[in-house]
Amino acid sequence: MTNRLSRPNTNSRSSRAAVLFRAVGCALLGALLLAGTGCGGGRSADTELVVTGSTTILPIAEIAGEMYHGLHPDQKVLVSGLGSSAGIETVSSGSSDIGTSSRDLKPAEEDLGLFDTPIAYDAIAVIVNPDNPVRELTSEQVRAIFSGEIENWSELGGNDKDIGLVNRDEASGTREAFHKIVMGDHPFDRTAAVLPGTGQVRSVVSNARGAIGYISLGFVNDEVKVVAVDGVVPTKETVIAGEYPLQRLLHFYTVGEPTGLARDYIHFVLSDAVQQSVVRDAGFLPVSREEN
Amino acid sequence: MPSLPSMSSENNSLRLVSRATHLKEIALKNLFLVCAFVAVAGVLLIFGFVGFRGWPAFAEVGPWSFLAGTEWSPTDGVYGILPLIWGTVVVMLGALVIGTPLAVGTAVFLSEIATPRVRGIVRPAVELLAGIPSVIYGFFGLIILRPIIANFTDGLGFGAVTAWFILAIMIVPTIATLSEDALRSIPPGIREASYAMGATTWQTIYKVLVPAAKIGIIDAIILGMGRAIGETMAVLMVVGNAPVFPESIAAPIATLTTQIVMDMPYAAGMHRTALFGMAIVLFLASMGLVALVRLISRFQTSIEAGR
Repeated sequence: MTNRLSRPNTNSRSSRAAVLFRAVGCALLGALLLAGTGCGGGRSADTELVVTGSTTILPIAEIAGEMYHGLHPDQKVLVSGLGSSAGIETVSSGSSDIGTSSRDLKPAEEDLGLFDTPIAYDAIAVIVNPDNPVRELTSEQVRAIFSGEIENWSELGGNDKDIGLVNRDEASGTREAFHKIVMGDHPFDRTAAVLPGTGQVRSVVSNARGAIGYISLGFVNDEVKVVAVDGVVPTKETVIAGEYPLQRLLHFYTVGEPTGLARDYIHFVLSDAVQQSVVRDAGFLPVSREEN
Repeated sequence: MPSLPSMSSENNSLRLVSRATHLKEIALKNLFLVCAFVAVAGVLLIFGFVGFRGWPAFAEVGPWSFLAGTEWSPTDGVYGILPLIWGTVVVMLGALVIGTPLAVGTAVFLSEIATPRVRGIVRPAVELLAGIPSVIYGFFGLIILRPIIANFTDGLGFGAVTAWFILAIMIVPTIATLSEDALRSIPPGIREASYAMGATTWQTIYKVLVPAAKIGIIDAIILGMGRAIGETMAVLMVVGNAPVFPESIAAPIATLTTQIVMDMPYAAGMHRTALFGMAIVLFLASMGLVALVRLISRFQTSIEAGR
């Protein structure tokens, strides 16, 4: 499958930007042409690692890549964010070494022979105003709220108060994940307020008593109250145990088990140095080390 | 230099300046011509670009289902911008209703009532309003005004009513300064005649001066409309951005400009084309307003000429 044209990397002095540009170009070209062969720019699997895919994972992969380069100056990790689907496509076509994805493989992608290494958990917390007496919702209730079927908190055991729906904009990855996990085929209520940022959602929910919204668990603070979904409060433990329903895994995909530089890099991403700092700082939860 | 002899023969006084000065004059004249041309070229280029990118929205979606479609749902391939046009009109009209009395009142105060000393404080303050970046207005609206509206309406505080108050303040400088100019351009003799007949200040203002400055004030209001339609950032932060016909004035709503800003970062294909189509609608609306102002001014000139 990996029929790469690997010319030795002669120009170690060439600027990093140029190399990055070429690698991104390779990845793009590969994604577009579905080419089984790599492109003729030439790179060595021993010194350069190409990581493409999810924009959600981009900050983790990039910072981890820079840290890795700092530890191993002769090895470079070239990271780009083209979207999860493009990441899976490029790694299976051989134009990148690792494909990153914030979603699981689709049925059509399962026979590509990809090896899955989960690198972090992302949980989506449903948040309400701290004055709201409602502590728990079922995922059906969350779906009914966000599709506009339930419009008053009294239907959910709360006060007689209109529900103020706060949604994210369509470019948001959190919205996409929430839609996929919770809403399924049901469309969002179109009369909901649409806010362009996690911080805005949190700030509005924190001072409007009837409001409900959703944000990545890493952004929750004391100003808002997290609602238990299906009886499970999202915490580090419940998310890692897989009990909390609104969660997703962030994946690194490789063709077969990772070898060489890819293996070293993935080991580094799974090490505490990255998991406990970079992954947490990006608002995600570390995977337990045993999974490696 | 072919133009030199003809110029000097046309205008004898130019012979008196040196050749270097004359060349400098010509160079400056052309420089200013280029300046003016840049503005015109800018308008033409933008209009051409927006038109070129946006016309498929009318051609492929169909002008009727694009302009009069009641659902804006780009992910489902439905591009009806009527809710957005409706939102734009609602937000603009409400802001005018609140802002116009405020602005005309300010203009009357500045022109007829205020002493020069008070005027020296109030006028710069009003002009300063125009210089505040709109994102500051939006931030003020989001942090201060929205929670207050939320308390009164028992909702989130996003909606047309929040935008009305913010926009009303934002259009005050436009309407107030232009209205004041209109009032001050009334010949003092008219004022004096009114007072001489025993009219009070209030009678003079509402029976004589405001009617006399009517056309100028209407021009000011129309330009204020243009500002209200085009304002994006401040409105974006307080309207809630739901592309629907709202159930109440305190329910989330979206306007043409805010929807363009929200969607532009990720829109592709037909969606992006539809955004350019919305830009055409905005462009035509503001061109229509400017044309209206010119038409009214011409109307006034012809009345005065007929007098």
